[in-house]
Amino acid sequence: MRISTSTIFEAGVGTMQQQTAALLRVQQQIATGRRLLSPADDPVAAAHALEVTQSQAINAQYGVNLGSARDSLTLEESVLGSITSLLQDARDVSVQAGSAALSDADRNTLANTLRSRYQELMALANSTDGDGQYLFSGYSGATRPFSETAPGQVAYAGDQGQRLIQVNPSRQMAVGDAGPEVFLRIPAGNGSFVTGADSANSGSAVIDSGTVLDAGLWNQPGNSGDYSVRFAVAGGVTTYDLIDNTSGDSLLTGLPGTGTAPLPRVYASGSNIVFSQAGPPALDLGVRVSISGTPQQGDRFDLRRSANQDVFQTLHSLADAIDNLSGAALTNALVAQQRNLDNALENVLTVRASTGVRLKELEAIQTTGEQRALQYSETLSRLQDLDYAKAISELSQQQINLEAAQKSFLKVSTLSLFEFI
Amino acid sequence: MTMGIFGIGISGLNTAQAGMATAGHNISNAATPGFSRQEVLQTTNAPSYSGAGFIGQGVEISTVRRIYSEVLNNQLAAAQSLGGAYGSYAAQIGQVANLLADPQAGLSPRLHDFFAAVADVAAHPESVPSRQTLLSSAQALVASFQGLDQQLQEIRNAVNTEVQSGVELLNSYAQQIAQLNHDIQFTEAASGAQPANDLRDLRDQLVAQLGEQVNVSVVRQGDGSYNVFIGNGQPVVVGAKPFTLVAAPSPYDPQRLALGLQAGGGVVMLPEAGLQGGKLGGLLAFRTETLDSVQNALGRVALGLGQAFNTQHALGQDLGGLLGGDFFALASPAVNFNSTNQGTGNLTVSLGQADALTVSDYRLAFQGINAGNDRYVLTRLSDGRTTTLDVPSGTGYPAGFSVDGLQLTLDAGAVSGDSWEIRPTRSGAAGLGLLISDPARIAAASPLRSAAELTNRGNATVSAPTLASTAGLPLPADIRLTFDAASTSFVVSGAVPAVAPIAYQAGTAITLGGVSFSISGQPQDGDQFTLSSNTQGVSDNRNALALAALQTVATLGRDASLPGASASSTLQSAYAQIVSQVGSKARQMEVSQQAQTQIIAQTRQAQQAVSGVNLDEEAANLLRYQQMYQASGKVLQIANTLFDTVLQLGR
Repeated sequence: MRISTSTIFEAGVGTMQQQTAALLRVQQQIATGRRLLSPADDPVAAAHALEVTQSQAINAQYGVNLGSARDSLTLEESVLGSITSLLQDARDVSVQAGSAALSDADRNTLANTLRSRYQELMALANSTDGDGQYLFSGYSGATRPFSETAPGQVAYAGDQGQRLIQVNPSRQMAVGDAGPEVFLRIPAGNGSFVTGADSANSGSAVIDSGTVLDAGLWNQPGNSGDYSVRFAVAGGVTTYDLIDNTSGDSLLTGLPGTGTAPLPRVYASGSNIVFSQAGPPALDLGVRVSISGTPQQGDRFDLRRSANQDVFQTLHSLADAIDNLSGAALTNALVAQQRNLDNALENVLTVRASTGVRLKELEAIQTTGEQRALQYSETLSRLQDLDYAKAISELSQQQINLEAAQKSFLKVSTLSLFEFI
Repeated sequence: MTMGIFGIGISGLNTAQAGMATAGHNISNAATPGFSRQEVLQTTNAPSYSGAGFIGQGVEISTVRRIYSEVLNNQLAAAQSLGGAYGSYAAQIGQVANLLADPQAGLSPRLHDFFAAVADVAAHPESVPSRQTLLSSAQALVASFQGLDQQLQEIRNAVNTEVQSGVELLNSYAQQIAQLNHDIQFTEAASGAQPANDLRDLRDQLVAQLGEQVNVSVVRQGDGSYNVFIGNGQPVVVGAKPFTLVAAPSPYDPQRLALGLQAGGGVVMLPEAGLQGGKLGGLLAFRTETLDSVQNALGRVALGLGQAFNTQHALGQDLGGLLGGDFFALASPAVNFNSTNQGTGNLTVSLGQADALTVSDYRLAFQGINAGNDRYVLTRLSDGRTTTLDVPSGTGYPAGFSVDGLQLTLDAGAVSGDSWEIRPTRSGAAGLGLLISDPARIAAASPLRSAAELTNRGNATVSAPTLASTAGLPLPADIRLTFDAASTSFVVSGAVPAVAPIAYQAGTAITLGGVSFSISGQPQDGDQFTLSSNTQGVSDNRNALALAALQTVATLGRDASLPGASASSTLQSAYAQIVSQVGSKARQMEVSQQAQTQIIAQTRQAQQAVSGVNLDEEAANLLRYQQMYQASGKVLQIANTLFDTVLQLGR
C-alpha cells in the first residue's frame, strides 16, 4: 500500500494528540479527585449523584432540625423538672400544715412559703427559650402567656398551638407543649366531681375526695352535677339526706328536703355514703363519698361536677386555707386542695414523660439519620470519587504510551530518501 | 538520420524536464491541502518507417494528470462533513453539560441552600435573621436560575453569530466555486481539453470546505462544471452562477437566526431538517435538540418551584398577621406570531397548573372552518401530538382552552393558515424573580388555630387546622363547635355561610370552606372547640413546614391528558433529568465524534494512499528523470559526435 508522506505526519500527530488528551484527562481526575469530570463521562451516575446529594443535604438538614428539637425539648424538660420539684415541695408544705401541733404563726410561715412558690411557678410558666420565645404560649411565642389578674386568678394570653419540627422524612416532632396542657387543663377533685365542706359547718366531720363507681352513670345527660349531703342530729342519732342542690329535692325521697331530723339515712363515721338506692325513687349516680368525724345539726358537704382548676389557683387556695382556717375546715380544705395539687403534679409528670419519650425517639431518629448519612456518602463516593491507585497507574501507563509515540514518530519521520541524495 | 537521433535526445530531455518539474511540483505541494499528486503520462512518438521496420522516434508527453479517486474524495468529504457536525455539536453541548453539573455553579447547591433556609425558618419562625437568610438564599436561587439561563442565552447568541459567519463562509465558497467552474471550463477549452489539474484540486477542496460547513450534494456536469446544492436541494452554485445564502430571523422568533436563500426579491427559509451535516448542521441540531429543551426544562423547574411555593405561601400568614402573598414572580408563556400571518386573530397564553407543564414548545395553526366550527390544531413539537380545538364560528369567541398546564385564549379574526408558536417555559428561568424583600412578610405561620375550651369535660382533642384556600379569611368571628351528646353531633356557630350540625366521628376530617381539621377522643355534652384567627402566632411554623416539604414533594411532570394523574417528579429530580439528558447527549456526541475522527483518518489515509505525495517516491522519480536527462544528453552528445564524424569525412 502506498503511504503518503503527509499520512505519516498526520497519523503520528493524531496518535500523540490522543495520548495527550488521555493523559490530561487522568491528570485532571487526579487533581480534582473526581471520577466524573463532566456529566458526559457517565450521565446516569451524574444524575444519580445529584439526587443522592439532595438526599444527603436533606438528611443533614434533618440533623440540624433534630438538634434544634432536642434543644427545645431538653429546655422544656428541665423547666418541667423544676416545676415537678416545686410542686412536690408545695405538697410537703401542705402536709406539714395539716399537723395539729402548729401554731397560727407557724402556719402563716408555711402559707408564705407557698406564696413564694406560687411566684416561682409563675416565673417558670413564663420561661423563655434561647431566642427569647415563651416556652408555654403555643404559637404566640412573643406573648407573655401567664399574668395575674387578681390574687390567685391567672389569665392565659397564649393559644393551644403546638410547634412541630420535621425530624425525618415522615415524622414531625412536637417540640413544646402549650401552657394550658401543663398548667391549666387539670381536672379538680377526683376528675369527676369536687367535694367540699360548707364554710358554716360547726362539726368536726371531714369529707374525702370521693370515688366514681360508674363514670357512665355520672356522665348521664340528666345529671345536674350539684349535690349535697346534709346532716341532722336529734336524740344523739345523726342522720343525713342527699339533696339535689338545683331542685332542692331529696334524692332519697323525691320530696323537697326539709333538713328536719330524722333524715332518711343514719350516719356512721367513716362509712361510705353512696349516691344510689333501690328506691323508690330509684337512684344511681355511680359515685360515693366517705365522711368521717362528727357532724353537727345543719352541717352540709357539697359534691359538684368538677371543672378544671389551674395549678396557680390550687397553690393560692392552699396558701389561703393554711393562713386563714383551722380545725376541720382546714382539714377539709387541705384534703381537697392536696388532691388538686396531686392532680397538677400528675399532669406535669405526664407532660414530662411525653417529653422524655420524644427525646428518646430523637436519639433513635438521630442514629438512623447518621447511618443514612454514611450510606449516602458511600453511594456518592462510589458514584463520583476517583480510585487513586488505579488512576495513578493509568497516568504512568499513558505517560509511557505518549513517550513511545513521540520517540517512534521521530524515528519514522526522519527516514527520507533525500537524506541519501 | 542524425536529425532523428537529435530529435529523440531532445524529446528525452524535454520529457525528463517535465518529469522533474512534476516531481518538484509534487514535492513542493506535498503539504498543500486538497492537492492530488500529478504524474507525467508519456508515450512513444510515432515511429518512422524504414525498410527494416519501424524505428522509434523518442518520447512525447501526452498529458500531465492528477492521481485522483472521485469515490474516495467523496467519501472523505462526507466523513468530514459529518465530523464537522459532531464536532460543533459536541463543543457546544460540552459547555452546557459542564455548566449544569458544576458542583459549585450548578443549580443543585442553590436549591439545597434555599430549602435548608426554609427549614431553618420552620425551626425558628420568629427569628428575623433566619427569615433574612431565607430571603438571601431565595435571591441566590433566583440569581442562579437567571445566571444559568443567561449562560444558555449567551450560547444561543454564539450560535446566532456562528450561523452568521457560517453563512458568510458559505457565500464566499459558493462564489469561488462558481468562479472556478468558469475558469476550469475556459482553461480546458483553451488548452484543447487538457485537464486543469490544480484548478480542479482547488475546486474539490472548496467543495469539501463547503461540506464542512453544511452537507452538500454535487452534480457534475458534462462540461466539467459542478452544480452544488444544500439541504433538500436548494442550489448554491449552478455553473458559473453563485446563489446568495442569508442568515435571516426565523418566522416565529426574531431572535433566532436560520438559513435562508435569497430568491428574487425575497428570502426562502431552508427547512432545518434538511440541513444536517457540517458545522452549521451540528449547530442547528444542537440548538433545536438540546439548547431549546434545556432552556425549556430549566424554565419548567423555575415555574414549578415558583408556583408550588407561591401557592403554599399564599396559604400562610406572615409575622404581621397578614395572609402571605406571592413569594416568587413568574414569567408568562411566550407567544410568537408567525410573521406571515394574514388575519387579526389574537392568541394569549397564561400559566395554568405548572405541574402539568412539559418542556416542549407548541405550534397552533388555524385550519379554517370545519362543520360550523373554527378549527385550530395545537401541535406539541417535541412529539408531534396534536390537540384539536374547535370554536363555534363567530359566536364562540373569546374561547378558552386548557392544555398541558397552559391557558389559551383565542380571539376571533384568524385567517386559514395563520399560526402561532408558544414557548411556555423558555423564559421561565430568566423571568423568575423575588417579590418579597421584607423578612417579616414570609408567611411561616398558618392563619387559623384551633383550641379545645378549658371548661370541656370530655377528653376530646382538636387537631391543628389545615387550609386548602384562604377564601373567607380573615374570619369575621371565631367558629365554635359545640358538642350535642343527644345527637352526637357538633353545632357550628360563627361560620360564614352557616353550616348544618356535623355528625361526630372521631378522627374524621371536618371541612368548613377551605379549612379542615379533625376532633378525636370522647367529647361530653356542651364541650366546645374553636377555630380562630392566629393572632400573635409568631412562633407558628406550620406553613414553613409545608413549604419545606415542597423539596421532596413531586411538583412537576403531571400528564394533563390522563385524568387523575399526579405529578411525578420533584424539583431536584426534574433538574437531574436535565443533567442526565444533556450528559447522555454529550456522551453520545463525544463517542460519535471519536468514531468519526477514526473514520475520517481511515478514509483520509485511503484517499492519500491514492492522491497523496510520497517524498521517497518523488525522490526516486527525481533520480530517475535526472538519469533520463543525463542519458538523453549523452544521446545528443553521441549524435553530435556522429555529426562530426560525418563532417570529417568530407575533409
